[in-house]
Amino acid sequence: MAAANGVAKWLGVTPGLRFADARSRAPDVQAEPVDRAADARALEALALWATRWTPLAMVDGMDALRLDITGCARLFGGEGHLLSDIGERLSAGGITARIGAGPTPGAAWALARHGAGRVTVCRAGQEVSEALTDLPVSGLRLDEAAERLLRRFGLTRIGQLYDIDRTALARRFSSKEAVSAVRFRLDQALGLYPEPLNPIRTPPDYAPRQSFVEPLISGDGLTAALDTLTEQLCELLERDGRGARDFTLTAFRADGSAASVSLSTARPVRDRAHILRLFRDRIEQIDPGFGIDLVELSAGRTGPLETDARPLSRDLAADPVDPVALSALADRLTARLGAGTVRIARPEASHDPSRAEALAVYDGALEDWTDTRSVPRSDRPARMLDQPEAVEVLAEVPDGPPLRFVWRRVPRRVKRADGPERIAPEWWRTFDSEARARDYYRIEDEEGRRYWVFREGLYQDGRGGLPRWYVHALFS
Amino acid sequence: MQPFSGLRGDAASPAFPFGLAAEGVHEIAERAYGDAGAAAGFALSALARSRPGVWLWIRQRDLVLDLGRVTGLGASAFGLDPARFLFVETGTPVDTLIAAEEGIRSGAVSTVIAEVGEASFTATRRLILASETGGTPALLLLPHTREGATAAQARWRVSPAPSSPNLFDARAPGSPRWRARLERCRAAPGEAGRDFDLEFDDETLCLRLVSGLADGPAAPRPARPAALLPFRRAG
Repeated sequence: MAAANGVAKWLGVTPGLRFADARSRAPDVQAEPVDRAADARALEALALWATRWTPLAMVDGMDALRLDITGCARLFGGEGHLLSDIGERLSAGGITARIGAGPTPGAAWALARHGAGRVTVCRAGQEVSEALTDLPVSGLRLDEAAERLLRRFGLTRIGQLYDIDRTALARRFSSKEAVSAVRFRLDQALGLYPEPLNPIRTPPDYAPRQSFVEPLISGDGLTAALDTLTEQLCELLERDGRGARDFTLTAFRADGSAASVSLSTARPVRDRAHILRLFRDRIEQIDPGFGIDLVELSAGRTGPLETDARPLSRDLAADPVDPVALSALADRLTARLGAGTVRIARPEASHDPSRAEALAVYDGALEDWTDTRSVPRSDRPARMLDQPEAVEVLAEVPDGPPLRFVWRRVPRRVKRADGPERIAPEWWRTFDSEARARDYYRIEDEEGRRYWVFREGLYQDGRGGLPRWYVHALFS
Repeated sequence: MQPFSGLRGDAASPAFPFGLAAEGVHEIAERAYGDAGAAAGFALSALARSRPGVWLWIRQRDLVLDLGRVTGLGASAFGLDPARFLFVETGTPVDTLIAAEEGIRSGAVSTVIAEVGEASFTATRRLILASETGGTPALLLLPHTREGATAAQARWRVSPAPSSPNLFDARAPGSPRWRARLERCRAAPGEAGRDFDLEFDDETLCLRLVSGLADGPAAPRPARPAALLPFRRAG
């Protein structure tokens, strides 16, 4: 028995009971296996939905959500209104919930579980200690052993712990962990010890929202809402002279679930048409379900956006590259093809040809290649294979170029060859003492195809067996 | 600078290369499996003449895994600045063509190069229309299986040819040479079916037409002053 609702409790079925015992108390009970992972996913979805009240929401344990409503109550007409709104919307979504509100997470936890009513609030002006004084010690989030010890000493109410001398308390406990746990949890509940909140998603910098009295059930309404929100967001960004790189459109449904689409841009933007265009193809991913009653467009990773004068025509520009247009293109490609698909080549300080350059995700700036050590230009091939391919080769021993080789099952006869270019392993990078030097040859076969092949290792270099041959690249 | 020199006799065609990488959409296909290196070289040498700006190079993942990817250093062998490339990797031919169209329409890049497995007549027609509106040229690099109708301005069929004689070492390969057949050409239908023997000179960085390559050894290039000979550039 994993959990019990009100009816079950009335029948005497409590969590932790064996199924046979439960059946004896309630004969028509049905068994379903517990899926903790699905529970956790559902709770996480609910936490995302709870961001409609505050950007700081997190999952707390297996059965609770924690919301930091500091400063948010004002937007809902006061704390009372906010809490009743939470209660109403949860019960409308078919969720039975107990709500506790207090100045510390610990106090709210205790009030939610052991408060007198379904909604219990530590009122303004009321001390935390006063609000908690009559609650049982199980409201302190202690483990079973510590709780049992407290009960054994007759300490059943939280208020009884206030006056006990801390050192005296420590003396009575046999284990040090238990006493420090009690003190720690008590301090957390009373606000003497900080308890940070780890929000389910990073609070956005800007988040204009639009709520609907009549829930939206069609995609058209959502598109119209996106249009309005984008305009509001761009006004906010323009007012502050900023642009944003992360955009998330979240649709809160009336039944207690939320759906969102996110996208990122290569550089800060606040161009309304551009943002709309990026969302255009992805907005269909949001299923209105039973109706959307709140839509939020949040912007994160904001940064200053300088407005520089654009040249009147392309011919007048000092640089033919327009970084704004280029990153806008990259954004559109990324929105369609997935994150990290637009890349630039970046030079690396390595003489190993397979490591001489890397592909980096384009982030609005092009790489500068002018400083790199100049490599003899005509020596590098047009097409590099990701992995060198082993080939069978007939070559002069010890260091002649290949005469014949078989690549991809086709035998090829070498007409001309140039080399070797010896490339030693990077001993400072690899700790493999068996790493072998490579002798690269440019070869051309009868048909004029040009390859870059190498022999890994030298004859009698004392590192492994006979050298092996590989094709590494195709020349143009 | 005259980009194409050394023309001889009737090999010369004043219109060559028929707007390649300058306007519209052109296809460059392999002649046989494994000619992708030559096709890439032909495309890169065409890029050297394109408008200044950023080149958008879109590649389909399966083609790249099979025949390798064009690298920045490889492009710099053709005198191109590796910093001016934006690489995009796609999973399917459809994605590749969508990305190509997006790139052409954006007007942010000077040329779009797409390595794509296949492109239908409709798809090439879309690219042509986009290119005519935006003015951005596009090159499609296609595998040897490419056949059938196309809306593109031209289709080149490229294969490698034995390289030019190496002045310093007779046994070593010289400048790359290709044989490019103009299979279709909208601008000059009379030229269709003609073979062009091309050579990319990696010292002057220009593409030129050569002749006499198909049937016998290529004519040696004029010898240089003897004083230059000892200074062979070493790797």
